[in-house]
Amino acid sequence: MIIISKIELEGTDNLKYTDVGYTEDPAVAIQINEDYDTSLGKFLAENRTKLMLNQASVSTFFETTEFVYEARTEVDMIDGLSLPIITNINEL
Amino acid sequence: MVPVSGNNLQANPTPGASSVSQQFSNIFMVPPTTTGNETVVVQATMSNANGRTFTGATYGGQTMTEVYQQNRSGLSQRMVCYALNQAPTGSNTLTITFNGNQFNPISIAIKSFGDCGGVGNTLRTGAQNTPHNGILTIQDESFVMMTSCSVNQILTQQIPTGSNRFFSQHNTNRQVAAGALGAPTATGFPAGDLDLQATSTFGTLTLDRVEIKGLSTAPLNEGNFFKLFI
Repeated sequence: MIIISKIELEGTDNLKYTDVGYTEDPAVAIQINEDYDTSLGKFLAENRTKLMLNQASVSTFFETTEFVYEARTEVDMIDGLSLPIITNINEL
Repeated sequence: MVPVSGNNLQANPTPGASSVSQQFSNIFMVPPTTTGNETVVVQATMSNANGRTFTGATYGGQTMTEVYQQNRSGLSQRMVCYALNQAPTGSNTLTITFNGNQFNPISIAIKSFGDCGGVGNTLRTGAQNTPHNGILTIQDESFVMMTSCSVNQILTQQIPTGSNRFFSQHNTNRQVAAGALGAPTATGFPAGDLDLQATSTFGTLTLDRVEIKGLSTAPLNEGNFFKLFI
């Protein structure tokens, strides 16, 4: 199973991850991660050094995007996490 | 008593903060024989750029023990292992903290074990040409966790040599094999030197291994103490 996380800005400069669901369909995870890679993932890759040196802020990305999703957490069992199954990206 | 392997989780987030948290269910497909002997073990790898180090971890609010923290200067990475014995069962939050914001991806592997005597022997060897061979001296009925880091794609995690184990390929600006576990369910591994091997497409890779011990004696919390008088 793959857990889907919602990523948004916390405070002025931090990322906040919230698990919002899970999928058993690799195609759903691939679609989510492609969206991440072309949005926040691209921003982080292009600004990583500046972000580490506090010469840039991740809040810049969230000026135009409220949140993104990522699906790169693999897990055997999700019992107790109270997560809904996501079969279609439109269910997010 | 052989450990019982429980839940397994591999994550590869970019923390974007001075800590990262992950929900994890300390649960078991096959219930352990005893209660109160659950151990949660975490292996994590991240870039050491800008002097980043791991500063601690908690699970369910309890401080985890740092089994090792290894700087891999040649790979510009830090690799760490944390463990918590008598870990709370059910769903809890793992939090790993750093000495500053981390905007590089981090590799995290979390595993739970029941009927577990905790972490035993560990050994870490730096980058060597593929295939990287190593041994770990273990007690009878133990399991073994393994992880590797490389510039190149990692192909196998063999516990013991010749037995490929599942792992997740993570990107931390280097390649990391996360979550490999050798766990012969019924017997564990026999006592002695266990041969291990890790391979990559080419070049070098590291090999860190951790023994997961079974319970060496019947635990009192199963009521065996009182059975003596029956």
